[in-house]
Amino acid sequence: MGRWRQAYRDNSWGVIMTFLLPAFIFYLLFTAYPIIKTFYNSVHLIQPNASDEFVGLSYYFDILFDDRIFSNALVNTFIWATAAPIIDVALGLILATALYSKIPFARFFRLAWFTPVLISYVVVGVIWMWIYNYDWGVVNTLLRTVGLDAWTEVWLGNPSTALWSLILVDAWKWVGFHMVVCLAALHSLPSEVIEAAELDNCGWFDKLVYIKIPMLKTTLVNLLILAFIGKMKIFDLVWIMTKGGPLWSTETLATYTYKRAFQWDTFNLGYPSAIAVVSFGIVLVLVLSMSWLSRSRERLEY
Amino acid sequence: MLARNVIVRSLILIVLAGYTAFAAGPFVWVAIMSLRTTTEISDNPYGLPFPAHWWKYPEAWFNSNYEIYFLNSVLITTGAVLLLSVMGAMAAHCLARYKFRGNRLIFFLIFSTIILPPQITIIGIFQILVNYGLYDTRVGLMLVYVAMQMPLTVFILEGFFARLPQDLFDAARMDGYSDFEIFWKITLPIGLPAISTTVILNMIYIWNEFLFAVVLLVDDGKRTLPLGIQRFMGDNLDDTGMLATGLMIAVIPVIVAYVFFSERMIQGMTAGAVK
Repeated sequence: MGRWRQAYRDNSWGVIMTFLLPAFIFYLLFTAYPIIKTFYNSVHLIQPNASDEFVGLSYYFDILFDDRIFSNALVNTFIWATAAPIIDVALGLILATALYSKIPFARFFRLAWFTPVLISYVVVGVIWMWIYNYDWGVVNTLLRTVGLDAWTEVWLGNPSTALWSLILVDAWKWVGFHMVVCLAALHSLPSEVIEAAELDNCGWFDKLVYIKIPMLKTTLVNLLILAFIGKMKIFDLVWIMTKGGPLWSTETLATYTYKRAFQWDTFNLGYPSAIAVVSFGIVLVLVLSMSWLSRSRERLEY
Repeated sequence: MLARNVIVRSLILIVLAGYTAFAAGPFVWVAIMSLRTTTEISDNPYGLPFPAHWWKYPEAWFNSNYEIYFLNSVLITTGAVLLLSVMGAMAAHCLARYKFRGNRLIFFLIFSTIILPPQITIIGIFQILVNYGLYDTRVGLMLVYVAMQMPLTVFILEGFFARLPQDLFDAARMDGYSDFEIFWKITLPIGLPAISTTVILNMIYIWNEFLFAVVLLVDDGKRTLPLGIQRFMGDNLDDTGMLATGLMIAVIPVIVAYVFFSERMIQGMTAGAVK
C-alpha cells in the first residue's frame, strides 16, 4: 500500500476526474436526480400544466392506512420475493449436485437448463399464457390425460392460483442461473473433503445437508439476497401475463406504481412517487437487515 | 452394489431428463407452432409441423414492422453497450488504481443503486426526459439504459482490475507512460476478458428490457423488440400461429449467439453473483 501511495502521490485531481466524471454524470443525471425528484414529488400534487402544490405527508398516510391495493401489492411482492428465491436456490442446488456427481451429458444439461435465463420476460410470459390456457394449454391437457379433470383450473383467471402460477414461471426462468452458480461453487470446494465423505459411505442426502450446504453457505446466502432484491423489482412478467389481475391478486409494487403513474386518469405523479418511496424504504430495511443477520450469524459461529 | 449404483444413476438421469423437458419443452413447442397455421394449431395444439409453413417468417417480419423493432433494438443496445464499456472501464480503472479521498464512498454510492427498485427512479426519469425533449426518443432510452447498467458494469470491472498486479503499472510508469496511456495500453487490453463479460451481460439485459421501454417510448417507429412483441400480441391475440412466429423471431438471435458463445454467455450472466 505504501508503494502504491508513493507512486501516485502526485496524481492530479484532473486525471481522476477525467476517468470518473463520464460515469458519474450518468449517475447524477439518471439515478441521483430522479430519486431526489421522486422524493420531492411524494409531498406534492404534480399535475401537467399546473404548478406543484405542497400536500405534506398526506399521500403517505393514505398509502399506509387507506390504500388496500397497496397493502395487497406489498403482500404479493413479499410472498414472491420470499418464496421464489427459496425455490430457485433449492432446485438450483439439487440440480447442481446431480451434475457434480459426473452424470453423462452433464454439459448438455447445463446448457439446456440455462437457456430460459437469456429469454425476455415478454416472450416467456406469452409462452406460459399458452401453457396455462384452460382449453388447450399444456397443464390442463396433462391433467386431463391422467384423468385428473377435476384439478383443471383457469390458472391465471382464478385469484387463488394466479400468483403462484406466476411464481412458478419465474422459477422456471431462474433455476438454471442458480444451478450454474452453485455448480461453480461446488467445483471450487476442496475435493478432499467430499471424497472423504464418499469413503465414509456418507449418503447422497447426508452429504448435501451436512457437508456441501455448510461449505457453500456464503454463496447460498448471497444468492438468496440477490434473488430477493431482484424479485422485489418484478414487473415484466406480471404486466404481460395478468396486468396485476384478477382482482389485484398478482399486483406487485412495481405494477401498481406504474398503473398509478401512467395508466390511471388521475394525472398526479405525486401519489405514485410516494408509493415508490415507501417501497424503496421497505426494500432497503429488508435487505440491510438480511445482510446484517447473515453477517452476525457468521460471527457467532467462528 | 454395482447393480444398485446403475439403478440409482439411471433414476437420476430420468429425473434430469424430466427437468430438461420442463426447461426446454416450452421453446420446442413454440418453435413447432411457429411453423403451423392457427387453424392447424386449434385442430391439434401438439401436432408436428408438417407441412412446415416457412412463409410465416417473412410474413411476420414484413407485415408487422418487425424490421423496424429489430433495428431499433440493435441501435439502442449497441450504443448503450459501447458507452457502458468505455465509461465503465474508465471509472473502474480509476477506482481500482487511484487512491484518493472519497474513492470508497463513490464505489459504495454506485454499488448501492443495485438494490434500488425501478419505481424509485422511473417517475423522475420520465419527468426529466420530458423536460429535456428526450421523451419518446431512442437516444433518451439509450442514455437511461447506460445509467441503469453502469453500477453492475463498474462493480464487475473494478473487481477484476483491482486484482491486476500493481508491478505492471509501476513498470509502465517507470517507462514514462502517461495516465491515459496506462489505461489505454495496459488496463484495456489485459482487462478485455472482463470487459467482454460485461458486454454480454449488458447486451442481454438491454435487449430484453421492458419496463423503461414501455414508459419512455410511445411512437410505433421507435419501439424495441419487447414492445413490438407486446403490440403484436395485442393485434394477434387469437392468431396463435402468427404470434408464435413473432416470438421466435425475437428469440432466434439470442439462441444463435448462445450456440456459438454458450460458455461466455453463462459466465457473463452470472458474473454479478460469482465473486
